[in-house]
Amino acid sequence: MSRVWLVGRLAIRDLRHNLPHALLLLVAITVAMATLTLGLILHGVTARPYWQTRVATNGPDVVASSVGFAGPAGISAAALGRFDALAHAPGVTAHSGPYPVAWPVLRFGRVTADVMAEGRSPARAAVDQPDVVQGSWVRPGGVVVEREFADALGVHVGDRISLAGRRFRVVGIAVTAAVPVYSQVCFYGGCSGPPGARPSFDTGLVWLTEAVARSLGTAANPVTYYLNLRLAYPASAPAFVRAHQPPPGTGPLALTAWRSLRDAAATVVVQEQQVLLPASWLLGLLAMASVAVLAGGRMAAGDRRVGLLKAVGGTPALAAAVLLAEYLVIALGAAAAGLLTGRLVAPLLASPGASLVGGPGAVHLGGLTVLLVTAAAIAIAGVSTVVPAVRAARISAVAALAEVVRPPGRQDWLIRLSARLPVALLLGMRLATRRLRRPLLSCVSFAITGSAIVAVLIFHASVRGHAGQSGPEGPGDAQVSQLLLMLTVVFVLLAAVNVLAITWATVLDTRRFSAIVRSLGATRRQTTAGLTAAQLLPAFAGLLLAIPAGKQLYAAVQNGGPQASPSGWWLLVMVTGTLLAVAGLTAIPARIGARQPIAAVLTEA
Amino acid sequence: MQQEVILALLAKEPSYGYQLRARLRDALGPLGDAMNDGQVYVTLARLEKAGQVAVERSAGMPDRPDRKMYALTAAGQQRVAEWLTEVSWPKPDLAEFHLKLLAAGAAQLADPVTIVDAQRRELLRRLRDAQRAALAEPPESGAALLLEGVVLRLQADLRWLEACERTWTGRNASQRRNK
Amino acid sequence: MSQTMNQSMLRAGGLRKEYGREASLVRAVDGVDLDVLAGETVAVMGPSGCGKSTLLHLLGGLDRATAGQIWLAGQWIDQMSERRLAALRRDAVGFVFQAFHLMDELTAVENVELPALLAGRSPRAARRRATELLDQVGLGDRARHLPSELSGGQRQRVAIARALANAPLIVLADEPTGNLDSEATLDVLRLFESLHEAGQTLVIVTHDARIAATADRLISMRDGAFIDETRLTGGTSGQLSALVNLDG
Repeated sequence: MSRVWLVGRLAIRDLRHNLPHALLLLVAITVAMATLTLGLILHGVTARPYWQTRVATNGPDVVASSVGFAGPAGISAAALGRFDALAHAPGVTAHSGPYPVAWPVLRFGRVTADVMAEGRSPARAAVDQPDVVQGSWVRPGGVVVEREFADALGVHVGDRISLAGRRFRVVGIAVTAAVPVYSQVCFYGGCSGPPGARPSFDTGLVWLTEAVARSLGTAANPVTYYLNLRLAYPASAPAFVRAHQPPPGTGPLALTAWRSLRDAAATVVVQEQQVLLPASWLLGLLAMASVAVLAGGRMAAGDRRVGLLKAVGGTPALAAAVLLAEYLVIALGAAAAGLLTGRLVAPLLASPGASLVGGPGAVHLGGLTVLLVTAAAIAIAGVSTVVPAVRAARISAVAALAEVVRPPGRQDWLIRLSARLPVALLLGMRLATRRLRRPLLSCVSFAITGSAIVAVLIFHASVRGHAGQSGPEGPGDAQVSQLLLMLTVVFVLLAAVNVLAITWATVLDTRRFSAIVRSLGATRRQTTAGLTAAQLLPAFAGLLLAIPAGKQLYAAVQNGGPQASPSGWWLLVMVTGTLLAVAGLTAIPARIGARQPIAAVLTEA
Repeated sequence: MQQEVILALLAKEPSYGYQLRARLRDALGPLGDAMNDGQVYVTLARLEKAGQVAVERSAGMPDRPDRKMYALTAAGQQRVAEWLTEVSWPKPDLAEFHLKLLAAGAAQLADPVTIVDAQRRELLRRLRDAQRAALAEPPESGAALLLEGVVLRLQADLRWLEACERTWTGRNASQRRNK
Repeated sequence: MSQTMNQSMLRAGGLRKEYGREASLVRAVDGVDLDVLAGETVAVMGPSGCGKSTLLHLLGGLDRATAGQIWLAGQWIDQMSERRLAALRRDAVGFVFQAFHLMDELTAVENVELPALLAGRSPRAARRRATELLDQVGLGDRARHLPSELSGGQRQRVAIARALANAPLIVLADEPTGNLDSEATLDVLRLFESLHEAGQTLVIVTHDARIAATADRLISMRDGAFIDETRLTGGTSGQLSALVNLDG
């Protein structure tokens, strides 16, 4: 037991001794873990608002729609008969409808939108009576607008709108659980629309009187019908749908179970999850690169500590244990911080919008999430410290104390080649190749960050690709865009941290080299330029790799499907901007390192 | 010149005076250049009087010591055997110099530090000369080895003189403070 | 390389180097005046901590003096910009360190050619000069060895060859035999003697009397200041008999 205590004390003392390094690691891993936590938490988070709305509105278990199956003359008698049969099928305890639904174009001010206009009676329905949150229910000349749609349009009670050219007044705002939330209204293909128009995700929901709804139908854009059903056993809804669903394409109606309605609400959140989980993987990799750089950079100092430990009687296992304990502390700290951050940020991303009443409620941090995040943090820290720990176990005390630092690698051809280059490049090449691990890690981290940015650029290009609608932007897209922006900023910041860390590690490792070379007559400018060149080359290589990698990433996240090409102009900006930033960031530690007088560095060696 | 050295040189076989002289100069290399030739004969005469060496024959002229052939007597052989096993190292002059400094300081005749500096200068010059000579000799010659020894001892003596200087400078400073 | 004798190569006046402030002020070099003529070898001796290494760093432009002036090869260098100092280090000064400070990953010849490459000479010319210098110091057959494969004395000789790469006007050596055994010390000694004979100006800082004995002038230093100066050439040379007690 005392051994564990000793290990713990040594580890903590060591961390305090190297606080900036430990903090850097902590930040990097925390960011990755927060993203992972968010991704895991958002799973199934919109269930509660759906349930609240359903209870408030007496929502249906199954809905049936005749979209796509009605002729220009309106619904056929056979279809009406089918609706009727369904309404009285075994297991059905209540029903409302079938209600006529028109598909006019709405105009409000300068905004136009496609609309699903459901015809209702002023009387209360048995199933699905939308909950009016403002104003009152439908009356002649009046229209009730779904809440999220109203927010998007900027419409309030009392405003005047026009539907298919006819003017109406907004008399109320309401919510329902019978139709998928705004921006997902057409999720299950239950939309029709003006001839020639593509069904768009921006179709909104309004209610008006049945007579008006029927009158809004045209030959080209006929009225469809909608039926709400209540079952004795809601859990049997999928079975009910299977039993009564006509074979696909035959019609005359299509059934949807309530679970699908609930999941539609989650679509936005599912999209976010789709973005967050891969992002957290990438951030995890980036954090691993940071850890590897920082851990490797301290290998020499670590070796000496290990040597001291061994010289005073510690076993190889003890030395390795101390090292691992340090990183375990950081990993656990990062996991805790990440879980906390994720838990705090989740409500912002978890809201399904205003379409459903009630917030997502207390976001639940499940035991599984905690376990997964902790395991991931430990894995990241562990993988990057395995090498130094194994070394610690194997290296002899004498060798460690003598600071027999691994001699830098020697590449004959590189040395011969660099002799032909101008001084700055000569120095740069020799500096970069002293430890090949560093330029490799730099290349990898740029490839990771670059591919994330390329994927985001492709996403934006795709969104713009099917933009050009004059409708209001769906909240889903905006939220996802915001999330992507936030993630991009995080990636760029982490990459910048990585660059600084790698450069600083290089500067420290090459202090003696730089001092000797300066004593032989190289200027500070030449050594700084050399260090910058040593960083720019792997950065450029990483960015070149990032372009195809980013395309692959996007394809993987979207599960195939169409991809727009990222704008060439933006790619150029990304590459040049990154290289300039790298040059600038490298110059800072390089100049600080070169400020030390030569004699000071050489006499301490 | 230590008498025992001459005795030892005769141990192998009897030699003429001039042969002994030649062997000595060979062994000492450049250091033997300025050797006083007459010293050898004076020592031989002394040894003869002491009974450790005897003249075997002389080639003609009895007054020319270099033509005399000298040989070890029994007493001489015994003395050589003893001498080879003796371990007394030649006494360095440290005590004399140390007393010189104390006397100068006590009687206020001169500043001990100045004396030390002067001695250091002299030893440094000697060191330089010996080193030069050592470098000029072919590497495996006996004289090179001897010179190397001279250099190393001078180096050691110089270190001691540095210590003397430090101590006496400190003593001067504390004396000034106490005044 | 012939240098006009009796011409000053290096002059320093009122040199001072201080660290810390007020109560903890340390005067590493406290008012040093020095004049080194062309072709001269000057040795600076003193106990450890007396500031002799610091002095050498100031003279070689590796550190900046707190006060005082340094005149080297026709220029005042104490106020020079870092860039011009670097050029000076490249072309006019050769530095030899106690710890050798060779690049571990470069072979001997690659180490020696480095200053020439930094000066902008073609790789071929630099390589040629490096090989010449290694022959000069007696390591021609070890040109392709890494420092880890060389002994201490050999490493220091490579360092000396590197210091000579750009034919410097003055070579500054900081405890060149500090890390060497006596055999290696002899090798370095011989090298310094031959450099001296060739007319190279040398300033050597050492606490080894043997190295100091190769100098024309020996300066003693303590607590940052010069306290004594001895001229070693001339004097009692030739009287070798004084070295052994052949009488009595």
